[in-house]
Amino acid sequence: MDIEMGAGTMHPETFLRVLGQKPWNVAYVQPSRRPADGRFGENPNRLFKHHQFQVILKPAPDDIQDLYLQSLEACGIDLRAHDVRFEEDNWESPTLGAWGIGWQVLYDGLEITQFTYFQQAGGQDLAPISVELTYGLERFAMSLQGVDNVYDLEWAKGVKYGEVRLRDEVEQSKYAFGHVPALGDGAFADFHRNLFNQYYDFSKALLDSHLVLPALDHALKCSHAFNVLDASGSIGVTERTAYILRVRQLAVAIAKAWTADPMEQGESHHGS
Amino acid sequence: MDRELLIELGLEELPASWLPTLTQQLSETLRKALHDHQLPNTESIEVHATPRRLAACVPALTDRQEDRDETLTGPPVSAAFGPDGMPTPAALGFAKKNGVEFAALTQVETAKGRYLTFEKKTRGRATVDVLPDVLTQVLRTLPFPKQMHWDAELHDGRGELVFGRPVRWLLFLYGGRVVPYTISRTSLAASVRVQDVTSGAVTYGHRVLASSGRAGRAIKVRGFDEYKKKLAEHFVFLSRIERKDRIIRELDGQARKLGGRMLLHQSAQAEALLEEVPDLVEYPGVVAGAFAAEFLSLPAEVLTTTLIHHQHFFPVVGQEGRLLPAFLAVTNTQGTNTKGIAENAERVVTARLRDARFFWASDRKVGLAARLPRLETLTFHKKLGSYRAKADRIAALAAWIASDVFGQSAEVAAQAEEAGRLAKADLATDMVREFTELQGVMGGIYARESGAPEAVWKAIYHHYQPVSVEATANQGIGHLGAGAVTWAAVSLADKLDTIAGLFHAGERPTGSRDPFGLRRAAHGVLRILLDLEPLTGLTVRPTLDSLIKRAVKGYGDGSDDHVMSEAAWTDLTAFLRERLEYVLVARGADRRNARAVLASGTTRPVRDLEANVQALPDVASSESFRQLATLFKRVRNIAKDGSADAGDAERGALVEPAELALLAEIETRGPVIDRAVATGSGYREAYQEAAKFEPAVAKCFTDVFVMAEDPALRQARLQLMKRLERLILQLGDISEIVAAE
Repeated sequence: MDIEMGAGTMHPETFLRVLGQKPWNVAYVQPSRRPADGRFGENPNRLFKHHQFQVILKPAPDDIQDLYLQSLEACGIDLRAHDVRFEEDNWESPTLGAWGIGWQVLYDGLEITQFTYFQQAGGQDLAPISVELTYGLERFAMSLQGVDNVYDLEWAKGVKYGEVRLRDEVEQSKYAFGHVPALGDGAFADFHRNLFNQYYDFSKALLDSHLVLPALDHALKCSHAFNVLDASGSIGVTERTAYILRVRQLAVAIAKAWTADPMEQGESHHGS
Repeated sequence: MDRELLIELGLEELPASWLPTLTQQLSETLRKALHDHQLPNTESIEVHATPRRLAACVPALTDRQEDRDETLTGPPVSAAFGPDGMPTPAALGFAKKNGVEFAALTQVETAKGRYLTFEKKTRGRATVDVLPDVLTQVLRTLPFPKQMHWDAELHDGRGELVFGRPVRWLLFLYGGRVVPYTISRTSLAASVRVQDVTSGAVTYGHRVLASSGRAGRAIKVRGFDEYKKKLAEHFVFLSRIERKDRIIRELDGQARKLGGRMLLHQSAQAEALLEEVPDLVEYPGVVAGAFAAEFLSLPAEVLTTTLIHHQHFFPVVGQEGRLLPAFLAVTNTQGTNTKGIAENAERVVTARLRDARFFWASDRKVGLAARLPRLETLTFHKKLGSYRAKADRIAALAAWIASDVFGQSAEVAAQAEEAGRLAKADLATDMVREFTELQGVMGGIYARESGAPEAVWKAIYHHYQPVSVEATANQGIGHLGAGAVTWAAVSLADKLDTIAGLFHAGERPTGSRDPFGLRRAAHGVLRILLDLEPLTGLTVRPTLDSLIKRAVKGYGDGSDDHVMSEAAWTDLTAFLRERLEYVLVARGADRRNARAVLASGTTRPVRDLEANVQALPDVASSESFRQLATLFKRVRNIAKDGSADAGDAERGALVEPAELALLAEIETRGPVIDRAVATGSGYREAYQEAAKFEPAVAKCFTDVFVMAEDPALRQARLQLMKRLERLILQLGDISEIVAAE
């Protein structure tokens, strides 16, 4: 999706579709921007922007773990020659009012996938249960290519990840941490505060007009503005909690509006 | 005839930390379910757990429930017949309820009269018909730390089945035959790919090794012996003991090959990991890996935390006890490609260590003190402000404890103050943000690196300790050296400040909820106070009351002692009392004795309370002391009635020989008790002395009527009782030791 977000979970094809009763299966690549993870291109495995391959299966099939392991084989991992394990790692997102039960999948000790059975999203109890598989593509590629540094990955034949992405990482990290000398004192924070407030109000207005998907787009913009404020150290702790709460309120209201829509109520096996 | 019951729940990976308890609980819930369904079993139930299965076997289970004979009581005979001699509707109703004719009823004579009865005989059902209900009870009552929805339900009228993890297969055999059972899927989920789980005679082996990653070949089994044998053939060690033994053997062997040994007994982290790994795997193997020697320049704490906590890998130490640039990984496979696995593992470790080295270098560019302003942005609690403010409170409290409570020099107090102020500064370092479990430790290391004296850096390093109440548990506080006294001051100050503050903010622990770890903090405080002398060499005897009052004061502006609301203070003192009782009991005291001693409150030195309670068992069993304890309850009741202030009983007013004798006893024996309480030692003698009161008190109660008509005499007698009460209460409310548990 072409809006900044921290994880594929916030994408409407996940966040909204796991709500309600309708079956849903989807897979997509989502660039994930986490301003606080920016390392100016100096860290071999941490990035301002990385890529997730996101899979949602609703309801979760009985053989989902086997299907997942087959996907690893399809990527060229010989399961019998390696140590692939499911270790407890439950997931929670306070801003989305969401949590789930699951594992991190370790491939010879490297976390390559987050595997989650969603239990709640947007503050709603879920039924049926969706399973989310989030493959970290850079991590995946690094282990498949046997590379220690993400910037040494082969992006395409003869082209390295660093050639494509390094400059982006350096500049985006500077931006995310507020290193913008041309701006006056406080201007960086003010700009993003204003952005947040404007997106917030606009998202609410969209929601009041029953435009649920556009409302979610603007809630995502809020979330990203908040992440930048947070990474750049522009907000205190109390304020931080208040921002998280506001995004969560939007997420919960959006989830509620989505499931209340008649289009989401029909076509299920049984209404209840 | 007795037959074997075998149940295996095939599950998606259970969290390792659950397994030891869960195995135990499986045995208990199954035993109870069998018992509740009239299927007694005297033999032990064998239970096993791996990440993917919970298994239980009852070797010999009766094939039929016991027959039951019960006598059901109906209406009284007097109400069973009408004037015409015919059964009343009540009597007929009783017969009908039990499905028999009136003539089948019997009568029984009781103390309350004659009653209609029915001798009910219930023929036991075949075990195979009852077992589904037994399993339902097990599935419903098996306690998981956290449960999940997985679109499953049971047909027991209760609907949805939440569980620890999804159940993927069910082996359910009795006498070698499948017991029919179904876990259904909810109508919302049920589909081609979401199916009921029905019982069968099959299990599955190791997830990958037995099936190459596909759904896996079902393995047919008819009984427990075959089950164990087949699992062993299919790369599953069912027994945790076998898994652990194998891991230890392999770890030792591999460590020796590396020219080193396992860092086990010196490291609580490594020991905890060794307890965890057997529950992460079904077919354990060990792979050795290496990292570049240049990373050995990192502090050992960072290396071991990276390996153990973040990667679940074991560090290896060389013969001189120094870390080697190597690690051992426990895997869920044994095999041919150890090199490939090791290379991948090495890549992960190297990436982690690079991060750590980056933090180590960048953190040391800024001194700890310079990080204090950054603590402004870290909230300690929303009503209590930031860690910056907490740092100042810890500093002031630690300085006061060092000087006023421990009686140390101004220099030591200044060191405690500095350590207290810097104790939380590492929260603003990159290393601690990444490795939160190193908080305190990292601050100590950074302080040491910048040349702080031992008394300062060790106090910071260890200030989260102790976390356990047992006198023998030493979690790394054995090497306090010159930092012992300042450590005690800072550790106490931090914990007391947290306890005082959070009660002030209305956050007290309830039931199993203690999100701020206040109980652990209180246990830490008590442990330090109880073992102050062995830990620090200090012989002072601080009271909990004085310490916590001072900590509460830290939240005021200094102008007023009444910082905390009356209600919060009441909660706080009740909490501390309850923790004192918990800790004394955890360290070996009898609960009633602990209660008796704690009746004297938190205003006595904590050490004295333990010395006091330790002296009790010797006398508590003597008959005369137990009688005194019983009499003491009467003393307290009478003393409570009187409005008299405890004071010198007016000798002249007392007349009866028995009361004069008691007064004389009090005057003779009192000083021994007073001395014990004042010095904190000699409690045994004090109790022996107190026990001698018994004849005098007993005689006084026989011969003397306290509530005399003459007001002066009554007053004098009340005062005498009050004085006796006050004297003994210094030791504790001994009536508690004869209280019903």
